Amino acid sequence: MFEKSLVDLIRGMRGHKGREAEYIQSAIKECRTEIRSQDMDVKATALLKLIYLEMFGYDMTWAAFNILEVMSAAKHMQKRVGYLAAVQTFRPDTEVLMLAENLLKKDLTSPSIPTLSLPLITLPHLVTSSLALSILPDLLPRLTHSQPAVRKKTITTLYRLALVYPETLIVAWPKIKDRLLDENEDSSVTAATVNVVCELGWRRPRDFLPLAPRLFELLIEGGNNWMAIKIIKLFAVLTPLEPRLVKKLVRPLTNLIQSTTAMSLLYECVSGIIQGGILDGADAGVNVEEVADLCISKLRGMILLEGDPNLKYVALLAFNKIVTTHPALVAMQQDVILRCLDDPDVSIRLQALELATGMVSSDNLQSVVDRLMKQLANAPPEKSTFLNGSVEDQDNTDLEQKLVPDKRGSEASPLPNEYRHEIISKILDMCAADTYANITDFEWYIETLVKLIRQLPGKTNDTLTGRHDRTLNLPARIGSQLLDVTVRVKELRPEAVRAAERLATMSSRGMYFASHGYGQAEILEVAAWLCGEYAVHLSSPYEVINSLVHDQTKDFASSTIGTIVQAIPKVFASITKSANQEWNASRKGTLELMLGRITSFLDTLSAHPNLEVQERSVEFLELLKLGSEALSAATIDAPEAPLLLIHALPALFEGSDLNPVSSAAQKKVPIPEDLDLDTPLNPNLDTILRSSQLIDEEEGDDEQTTAFNKFYFEREITALASIRPTTRSQYVEADNDEAVSYQGIPDSPQTQARKKAERAARNRDDPFYIPGGAHTPSDEIASVIGKQAGDLDVDSIPIVDLNIDPSQLQHGQSTEKPKKKPKRKFMIAADETLDPTSDQLSSSFSDTRAPRSLTRNLSNTAPSSSVPATGNRRNFLSVDSSNLGAFSLSDQEQSGTLQLDIERRLAEEAEMAAALKEVERKRLELARQEEEARTHVAEGVDEEGIVVKRKKKRSKKPAGDETTEQSLVDTLKKKKKKKVKKSEGGDPVQDSQPDFTEQ
Amino acid sequence: MQAAIDTATQQTLLRQIFDLVSARPSSACNFLPLPPLLAPAATSSSPDAPTQITYRHYATLYFILISTSTESPLALLDFIQVFVEALDRLFENVCELDLIFGFETLHAVLGEMVVGGVVIETGLEKIVAGVKESEGVKGKRKAVNASSSASLGKSSGFAGLGWATGTGSSWR
Repeated sequence: MFEKSLVDLIRGMRGHKGREAEYIQSAIKECRTEIRSQDMDVKATALLKLIYLEMFGYDMTWAAFNILEVMSAAKHMQKRVGYLAAVQTFRPDTEVLMLAENLLKKDLTSPSIPTLSLPLITLPHLVTSSLALSILPDLLPRLTHSQPAVRKKTITTLYRLALVYPETLIVAWPKIKDRLLDENEDSSVTAATVNVVCELGWRRPRDFLPLAPRLFELLIEGGNNWMAIKIIKLFAVLTPLEPRLVKKLVRPLTNLIQSTTAMSLLYECVSGIIQGGILDGADAGVNVEEVADLCISKLRGMILLEGDPNLKYVALLAFNKIVTTHPALVAMQQDVILRCLDDPDVSIRLQALELATGMVSSDNLQSVVDRLMKQLANAPPEKSTFLNGSVEDQDNTDLEQKLVPDKRGSEASPLPNEYRHEIISKILDMCAADTYANITDFEWYIETLVKLIRQLPGKTNDTLTGRHDRTLNLPARIGSQLLDVTVRVKELRPEAVRAAERLATMSSRGMYFASHGYGQAEILEVAAWLCGEYAVHLSSPYEVINSLVHDQTKDFASSTIGTIVQAIPKVFASITKSANQEWNASRKGTLELMLGRITSFLDTLSAHPNLEVQERSVEFLELLKLGSEALSAATIDAPEAPLLLIHALPALFEGSDLNPVSSAAQKKVPIPEDLDLDTPLNPNLDTILRSSQLIDEEEGDDEQTTAFNKFYFEREITALASIRPTTRSQYVEADNDEAVSYQGIPDSPQTQARKKAERAARNRDDPFYIPGGAHTPSDEIASVIGKQAGDLDVDSIPIVDLNIDPSQLQHGQSTEKPKKKPKRKFMIAADETLDPTSDQLSSSFSDTRAPRSLTRNLSNTAPSSSVPATGNRRNFLSVDSSNLGAFSLSDQEQSGTLQLDIERRLAEEAEMAAALKEVERKRLELARQEEEARTHVAEGVDEEGIVVKRKKKRSKKPAGDETTEQSLVDTLKKKKKKKVKKSEGGDPVQDSQPDFTEQ
Repeated sequence: MQAAIDTATQQTLLRQIFDLVSARPSSACNFLPLPPLLAPAATSSSPDAPTQITYRHYATLYFILISTSTESPLALLDFIQVFVEALDRLFENVCELDLIFGFETLHAVLGEMVVGGVVIETGLEKIVAGVKESEGVKGKRKAVNASSSASLGKSSGFAGLGWATGTGSSWR
């Protein structure tokens, strides 16, 4: 039979252009037979082909056993194929792995260097803790192998062993350290060792302080830039722990900065100075000014250096690290940084944008934002066809082209939506920071917001980018800013409302919204609300009404329609009021016409599928029908319009102004003392439950069935009722623990406290009073709650409005208000709350950026709700990025435990120290002892299984014979191990962490 | 760490990175934003999470490294340069075809430079010597000159990226 070689396969794939998948399937089928061949050559070739196909995404995990066979081939070149396949496809959970153990051990002792290297470079990809345990004795002696190539690979392999089996370090660390300290060691082994030390170093820096002198020496005398970079990076982690290092490092680092020709080293020196906190080292006797100047000037030089975008990028990266601690230093470099905002490279722009956000002040905010706005306005929106271009490119590629750095010309790319999104959200961040601390000209800001609407990117696939919950959608953010500014900055209201009017008016919408129309609903919702709430400022209310009742409105989301429905009567009320001043027949006619339009609009909505919209429409419809009856009943020569229209209707919407209320305000409403949540509503609950159970058992009897039914219903009710108090009281308790402010308030004068309590009790009937403070009715309520902060005067509540409350309440509370309220919290003045001194205020800003619904949840359900939220998000992402995430997770776990275990470790330290001395001489024996000691410690912790199995295995290992039983133990152990990994703390492996500190 | 990725995820990641990288003009810097698959979990900022993607573009190929923030970005660029130089030495005027047919050698080079995500060697001579030793007397592995292969299908071009990234991701 004739088999294809790899070359044949590759050529075949070329030859079947367009039908590759078919060809590959048949090739895989062939490989399946070939790989079972007795001829090792055929087997290895088949495997090589499979590896090749695996790179195209064709699974080959089914060949795991065959991989093992090839790995054990006698010829090196075949063996190499097997090992390569193992690297590509084996995972720590691959089942055949335990069969590989002996093979790996055997190859580790091979006299041939290439063969010996194979297991060394393969192990890191598949090592498990049990494999590590068994392979360690064979691996350790390789540290003293005569060939440096073997030594350096062994060192890194040991490091990877340690990641899954930390005990490795107990025996391996002294030897690794020897390699580092040995001045006669081969330079590349030293470099590799330094790399490993650094990897370990940023996991637990404290343990590496004793090595500082040697590292310092290597840094100065090493003459190896790669190594120096690593050492500097490690020192940046060490300096915070050992301030004396700062003084020692400054000189050599500044020398390096001035003398080196290697940009990477220069950059790392600067970044080491920044990250190591040397710029804060004034008390350590460092001339901070001088060092800072040097660093900044070097970074500035890197940005200015034309033609190397990489340097520009990393310099911005470094600036970004400085900006958090030394914003002033960075702001001095404004000119160059701002120029980077216009760089053709998006990566650089993003960095510059990040940096700009960090360094804006009231002086430069406008110029920075204007610059960004210009960029948005000038760039064409993203074309979704850019991928086609790259495909064409590929067709023209010449595979035999020599690999030389690519020199294709640059083309100006349109702004990607991602970047557009980023700019807009950064602009909003910058401007809103510290409740608009940096904004001096609010008219400009309103103007900017309106312009931003036009620049909104089209709908981005939020779930794909993972952005969904981090930054809520931009239109909603812009809307909330518009709203927020209008509510907070009173002087600006006329301008802001006129801006909203322009947005809401049909004829000008096309001018202000992007053509794709994404986000229009969110913005319109806000605009409509503003037009309604501040209708007095409208320049042409007639037109606004006509636009709002336009047919197009019905296509929006129900929340937008709901707001619009609410806004219409408000605008109308303001029209009637002004119309009344010169009442005449033509005005009456106009009003009639308008009423007709509105009612027919509301009429169509009264069958809207959304209940909220439906309810509002029906209510206003009925109200306005009354109005229109009154209007038609009025005689032409009446001196003024019907009272219903000019007094009753406006009265619904007038009251005191809305004030921004802190999201924390509700939590501060004191609990009335006489509120007893612990008393069950029905003290006989127990009996009822029990008897109902009894009946459950005796079911069957007719009489009893009826009795049962009766009880059944009773039970339902009482059960519910009794559950509520308990959960509620729990809730309150929990709340009290966290938010002490509850208790903190009653310091106020007694009368005041009593009034508060009374009102709180009254309002308690309607839980929405406070969070949902609504339109008409809640206008007052919101303001009252707001006033509680200062001298509250309950009596200021207009009695008339309170009477209207019950009928209108559901309106206000339901969809529209609760959504908007949180947004309105941000007043240039400050949020109102019961206790303004509370630090909760600061949290309010972050709330703005949360999605509306989230804000609402947060304010309603105690702080704990935010915890599960983040937890979920993480889960979601970790599933998504399982690929690279898995390792870091397990690693995190370890380093986490490392820190947690410090106390326990201290206790064990003495014991360990004694043991470690012996390690030098009797490594194997000691390993056994160690394990035994550890198992004793671990006994009774939680996973007994492990202990037993460990013992068994250990006692067997010296014999060296692997039996089926051994492998059985392995599988069992592997399973256990997985479980243990998840459970925290009780893991015996992690409990006895390596103690290389003391050595 | 490559070992944690299954084939399908790896392909997705490749696709995402390729989309990012192919949209960039050559004048752009060699650092990529993270692709969606690697987007950081908002809360965690562990030093073990991959945070930088560094690439270099040579003729028809992209060499891409995914690394943690503990690696120096500029040094990574040099690393790719050394990698390509080593390949160039071994293949003599290396081109994409050499790498397609000789991907074993490519892995061998990488094995000499990175073990378990840690750089062990950046000296060109030592790398080349190490690979030559492991390949024995096989000598120069210049690819067969397949004249019929002048035009290359999209998928093979992508495979070229495939291993470059695949191996790159074994670097942490």
